[in-house]
Amino acid sequence: MEQDAPRKVALIANCLLNQNAKVCEGAHYRGVVSPVVEALRSRGYRLQQLPCPELAFAGVRRWWAVYEQYDTPVYRAHCRRLAQAIAPLIEQYLRRGDEVILIGLDGSPSTGVRFTSSKPDWGGRPNRPEDDWEIVPRRGVWIEELEAELARRGLPPLPATGWALDMGRFDEAGSRRDLEQFLDSRETAAGSRGDDSAAP
Amino acid sequence: MKGDARGWRMALVPDALINPPTLARAALPDALGVLEAGGYGVLQLPPPGQHALLLAVIADEVAEYAHHGYAVVAIGVHGEPGGGLHWRRLAPLLRHRGMAPPPRFSLRPDVDAAAERQRFAAFLSGHDLPMEEQRRWRV
Repeated sequence: MEQDAPRKVALIANCLLNQNAKVCEGAHYRGVVSPVVEALRSRGYRLQQLPCPELAFAGVRRWWAVYEQYDTPVYRAHCRRLAQAIAPLIEQYLRRGDEVILIGLDGSPSTGVRFTSSKPDWGGRPNRPEDDWEIVPRRGVWIEELEAELARRGLPPLPATGWALDMGRFDEAGSRRDLEQFLDSRETAAGSRGDDSAAP
Repeated sequence: MKGDARGWRMALVPDALINPPTLARAALPDALGVLEAGGYGVLQLPPPGQHALLLAVIADEVAEYAHHGYAVVAIGVHGEPGGGLHWRRLAPLLRHRGMAPPPRFSLRPDVDAAAERQRFAAFLSGHDLPMEEQRRWRV
């Protein structure tokens, strides 16, 4: 039965379905980031959009920011609330045996998976020159809090990668290759195991 | 906004349209494809079930957009409870945030999918904020 079979589910950063969530001047598409959607759908993934923590916290007209500016107790509490909102759905997927992956937004201070943006001295009047921040290998604040919430529920870490939209200069072809390699490596791993990932 | 590609329009979309069951795929137009072609962003609603906190979070986001110059519509599925939009819960949440419920469009799985796609695309292309609102916000 289709409804009982394990499924492939991709948790995707909010702005990968809705570029209106991006900080001003950060939208590279009108709405849906179609290369991501195509890569996932063509491999049979269901899509599950995550909430956008920055939008709900600082609004659609927010300033650009780096990891250190969002690394505050109140923003982390906000992210935990969002994580508690979406975690029951993720838990349902995992407990029914679905394979769940996470596609974040590399370079983002909140949704970065492999990389986030960093500049400890950013603050005050926003007059920084372009591309002044640094890219460092670590999770964004929202992904850290989401993963912590899943761990609190006894759920396993999710295989994860990021669409490299916020890395300074966006390279769509490179990002697509990167994402497809990640997805195809999941297929290869599942094939060599003869199954897919186990339920918790 | 210099060099920014955002479309300023978005749609609330039920899970059933983003992840249609195999049998429904032939009966319904590819909603995500039509929205993408129309330049709409998507806010996905959860599948059926109790999602009180998640719906409140989504309502916060929708209200933030609606109060700052973005056009919002809701796309339902004819025959699904509340159109798949959790409408009985979502509408009061939006009202509580000072927002009138957005215009709704219902996709029908029981009519010709190609014709329905055209009707859907026409609805999307015909919807936006009045020009003075666009000029106020979209700079």
